[in-house]
Amino acid sequence: MNRQASSQTGEGRAKTIKKTFSRETSVSTTIHADPAVVWALLTHASDFPRWNSTVTSMKGEIAEGGSVELKSTLDDKRTFKLKVKEFVPEKRLVWGDALGSRLYTLTRGDGGSTHFSMTEKIGGPLFPLFAGSIPSFDETFERYAADLKKEAETIQRSKK
Amino acid sequence: MTADELSAQFMSIQGELKSFLLRMTASVQDAEDILQDTYLKAHANVDAFRGESSLKTWIFSIASNLARDLLRARKRWPETVTDICRDEALGNRQFFQEAIQIRQTSPQGNFEIKEHIAFCFTCVSKSLPLEGQLVLLLKEIYGFKVKEISQILQMSEAMVKYHLHVSRSTMIEIFDRRCSLINKQGICYQCTELNGIFNPKQNTQEELVKIEMAKEAENRSQEELFNLRMKILQELDPFESGAAQLQLHHLEHNRQVMEKYLEENSYRSSH
Repeated sequence: MNRQASSQTGEGRAKTIKKTFSRETSVSTTIHADPAVVWALLTHASDFPRWNSTVTSMKGEIAEGGSVELKSTLDDKRTFKLKVKEFVPEKRLVWGDALGSRLYTLTRGDGGSTHFSMTEKIGGPLFPLFAGSIPSFDETFERYAADLKKEAETIQRSKK
Repeated sequence: MTADELSAQFMSIQGELKSFLLRMTASVQDAEDILQDTYLKAHANVDAFRGESSLKTWIFSIASNLARDLLRARKRWPETVTDICRDEALGNRQFFQEAIQIRQTSPQGNFEIKEHIAFCFTCVSKSLPLEGQLVLLLKEIYGFKVKEISQILQMSEAMVKYHLHVSRSTMIEIFDRRCSLINKQGICYQCTELNGIFNPKQNTQEELVKIEMAKEAENRSQEELFNLRMKILQELDPFESGAAQLQLHHLEHNRQVMEKYLEENSYRSSH
């Protein structure tokens, strides 16, 4: 049952779908950079805090079978321990824990651009008990996508 | 291409190659070993060279792969390498006695601030991830294009651009925070401190004015100051300069200190 949806949709704007036992937030944007550049940014864990204003620290290895420990501006006191569940270079990345998972997809577009999307789904039988204490991801997702777009396009434009 | 032609062309770039290898490894011995292995490997595979890239690119590719194989197993240095090594040097009387002797007797024993700037960059760049250090040196100091670096390191042009961007950003941030030549609040002033020791009669401020990066510190952007720093390295051959012996002695000191430091810290973290 779809109880509530965010009013924000479209390029770079986050959208959240709330259900009784789950919540799903997604954002997508077109990045004028090669998928390899976007992929490099998404898979170098220790480099995240340099370009991504929503991540305060990330340790570990974002690779097939790897795991990361992430601290986010959403809750700086908490360390998220995440396992890489799917890793298809330059196309698809999934990481997550017992509560949910985050899916990244990259699709090559026209003129060397990349369509980027990020979706996080959290939920489970006990979700209604703690749903109220989980902050909205919308603003963080929008900043994440904007930071990624800005950094990837800067790299793409850099001198040859 | 014949073996003789290869030898002739190898000779023409070996100075540049050896300097690159020294800046990658921070070790004269490693640089000379890899240089020799590069020649042997190029010689053995000369028939495989199809001219798809320039010979220089092909030879740098062999050398870079050998350096990568050697360095992959070694730990990276911390960005505070110069602080750690300075503390060690201050308690090492033999190091200073040797340095003073080189200063007084060697034709390559001069001390120049710009030579120390290049030395400092070599040490600090070893705090970058290995691939990032390789890309940065090849592009900013040895003048290879992104496409050529992608051939040398067998990685996509996009990845070369990524590593270049991250390495530049990281080094700019480190020097902007630490280097007192470009930031009055910078905590590292080792080059001017050593100039006072080795050139006591010089006026350090007068010497600094001769260095464009220091002279322009307040007028230029961080990016431009980094480019000026790179220009210093481009123009210096660490084996042939007038300060080569003094700086190589100092580099070997730092390499040994780092080896010990990383071993001790590895032991501490595993116990």
